[in-house]
Amino acid sequence: MAPTGRAALLAALGSLPVGIWEPGWTGILAVNAPLAVACACDFALAAPVRRLGLTRSGDTAVRLGDTADLTLTITNPSRRPLRARIRDAWPPSSWQPGTETAASRHRLVIPPGERRRVITRLRPTRRGDRRADRVTVRSYGPLGLFARQGTHTVPWTVRVLPPFTSRKHLPSKLARLRELDGRTSVLTRGEGTEFDSLRDYVPGDDTRSIDWRATARQSAVAVRTWRPERDRHILLVLDTGRTSAGRVGDAPRLDASMDAALLLAALASRAGDRVDLLAYDRRLRALVQGRTAGDVLPSLVGAMATLEPELVETDARGLAAMALRTSPRRSLIVLLTTLDAAPIEEGLLPVLGRLTQRHTVLLASVADPHIAGMATARGNADAVYEAAAAAQAQAERDRTAEQLRRRGVTVVDATPEELAPALADAYLALKSAGRL
Amino acid sequence: MTTEVTLPSTSASPTARQVWTRTRGITLALVLLLAAAVAIAVVRSDARHGELDPRSADPYGSRAVAALLADRGVDTRVVTTLDEASTATGPDTTLLVAVPDLLTPGQQARLHSAFARSGGRTVLVSAGSASVERLAPGVTADPATSFGSTLSPDCELPAARRAGTADTGGIRYITTRLTADECYPSERLSTLLRLPAPSGEGDTVVLGAPDILLNDRLDEHGNASLALQLLGSRPHLVWYLPSLADASAAPEEGERSFFDLLPSGWLWGTLQLFIAAGLAALWRARRLGPLVPEKLPVAIRASETAEGRARLYRKANARDRAATALRTTTRTRLAPLVGVPAPQAHAPEALLPALSAHLQGDGQSLHTLLFGPPPGDDTALIRLADQLDALEREVRRP
Repeated sequence: MAPTGRAALLAALGSLPVGIWEPGWTGILAVNAPLAVACACDFALAAPVRRLGLTRSGDTAVRLGDTADLTLTITNPSRRPLRARIRDAWPPSSWQPGTETAASRHRLVIPPGERRRVITRLRPTRRGDRRADRVTVRSYGPLGLFARQGTHTVPWTVRVLPPFTSRKHLPSKLARLRELDGRTSVLTRGEGTEFDSLRDYVPGDDTRSIDWRATARQSAVAVRTWRPERDRHILLVLDTGRTSAGRVGDAPRLDASMDAALLLAALASRAGDRVDLLAYDRRLRALVQGRTAGDVLPSLVGAMATLEPELVETDARGLAAMALRTSPRRSLIVLLTTLDAAPIEEGLLPVLGRLTQRHTVLLASVADPHIAGMATARGNADAVYEAAAAAQAQAERDRTAEQLRRRGVTVVDATPEELAPALADAYLALKSAGRL
Repeated sequence: MTTEVTLPSTSASPTARQVWTRTRGITLALVLLLAAAVAIAVVRSDARHGELDPRSADPYGSRAVAALLADRGVDTRVVTTLDEASTATGPDTTLLVAVPDLLTPGQQARLHSAFARSGGRTVLVSAGSASVERLAPGVTADPATSFGSTLSPDCELPAARRAGTADTGGIRYITTRLTADECYPSERLSTLLRLPAPSGEGDTVVLGAPDILLNDRLDEHGNASLALQLLGSRPHLVWYLPSLADASAAPEEGERSFFDLLPSGWLWGTLQLFIAAGLAALWRARRLGPLVPEKLPVAIRASETAEGRARLYRKANARDRAATALRTTTRTRLAPLVGVPAPQAHAPEALLPALSAHLQGDGQSLHTLLFGPPPGDDTALIRLADQLDALEREVRRP
């Protein structure tokens, strides 16, 4: 229960009759007693909040950056009309900063025995699950002097999925994949290693791909065609440890890694490969395994939605053991982690041998464009020291990458915008070289 | 015909029964606390209640002396306002002013003019510097009080001589009146003064401490004797206990405060405005539901370590390390451009000839630039960075 601004205004106007006609306790009483009675009547006549019926419906998942509409249906079972202000409370990150007051509050009138719908529009700013908090209803009396207030709990969860902004690169990478796949006319030896079929020689074909045995058996000259391997296994390993928490630009490294992983998964599932996902820091955070090509992308997106960077050092030994257990067959293991010297040298390098023994390992790391900017700073002493520190950091990264390359690991180090296409290119290069 | 669908209740507000269940413990505790407070207050309220009141039988009251005076035919009347005290003065009346310091300067002046011409006796009990100069002109109170409480008379006043030692120790007085009787001195300043009125009839007695009038001190030394002689010289005793309820304590005309000058309508109108402000505060204070908590993500910039290292270099003036880092980077970038394999990029004998051949430049200055000693100051470091940039641009130029 609460008075309204109107009650306060009436009380303030009451100071005029008190001051002019009847200064004294009589005047105070003459003004405030009727006001109190009016407030009491208003309180008694306001529609009860407790008996309202509230139900919710609407979106359950939304891509980061899009809007989700949630419908709240409110039934007024009482015999009094409901004049109310309603706040549909959600966590603050469900809205763009500054818009949440306008987006969460509604004003409506429901005649007795009827129901109305209000739509709350969410525009989340972060990945993860958003759970509805309580719904607060303030019901005003007919005079608008006093209100009763109550809360209802109407649970609902909206899962905010990764934005997958790199999907704009998918058409070009798919075109490149089709070139490899022998579906286009550009078919040269060396593109893939799996024997596909024999066909008649066409002028322009590489003479080295003529199959002389087959030519001998038939009248025309036959050439062999090749296609890239299919049904290979790819294991995406997301490192969710402390190094993934650092922000590059406006988002943590983990988000850029996810974006790249999603593009790779989309591409690989079109190419007929099987994609699994493993997220690990000191324990298993997410595991997606054995999905069909059509199902893999939604399940990856769903599993990634709730992943958050943890502020712990990644247990590389446990991660390698988990990766080996997850991929019993020969696979391409894509490690989405960091190139910082200490975690790689102390964590990953000692266990790398076990991974490279059976599998092809690809390491993708998010580079920071800010470091590159610092490296070109000139003009005063501060700037030059910054440039020196950035050069030092860059040299360390390069040295770590070189160490990994020497052990047979393919390394991709790119800024968040370029990581996804670079990783896709690295995958296509491995595929065309037949190293999967 | 519509069927009634009963929705499961989603209300999260507590019902009246739940509110009672939740708050009854605290309500009970509060009630107990209040009861205990009242009980303790009642038990211990006797401490200093009714001090110097002739109707009070407490240790600090003065009922005993009033009773003794009544036995000797002196009637005691208690007054609490200045008007009553002023009209009660007369030649056959003793006026006792219990705590003169409580009177305002205006009241003191009126009281003095009332008893100065009456011809009766006035007894001022422990009058401090706030009141003694107006009520007994020519007398000032010494800021330091006496050490002991029990003093001997040392004067010619018959009452004091008969009483002997008494508990008059308290405020000490200095007087310029030659006719005054100065009794019970402590450190040469007296604690009891009798000042005869200039007109001849009547006198004023200034007493440094109220102890001789208190119930629990009356039977010690010569207290009772001194009190009875001082108060029993006239058949009537008027005991003036100044009170805050006295209307004469209000400021005089011309000294009224700002609020007295305002018309009462303004004051009552403002009171009503305060009520309105209270309602507005309630209106604004009632939130439409509580804040929603949320776990915030970690916000660390990935480049923090590099920035920190830059500031460390700056603070330690690590020009050697900075120059090494810049030179190493430039050498690493130049080596593939001039056809030197990466492992030999940092060997002068491999890199410098290839560079010189590419640029047709001076080998010595290239050696100083790429492998020379660290710069001596920050200006040299900035110049070094610019020269390295220039070199790289020149090599890259086709």
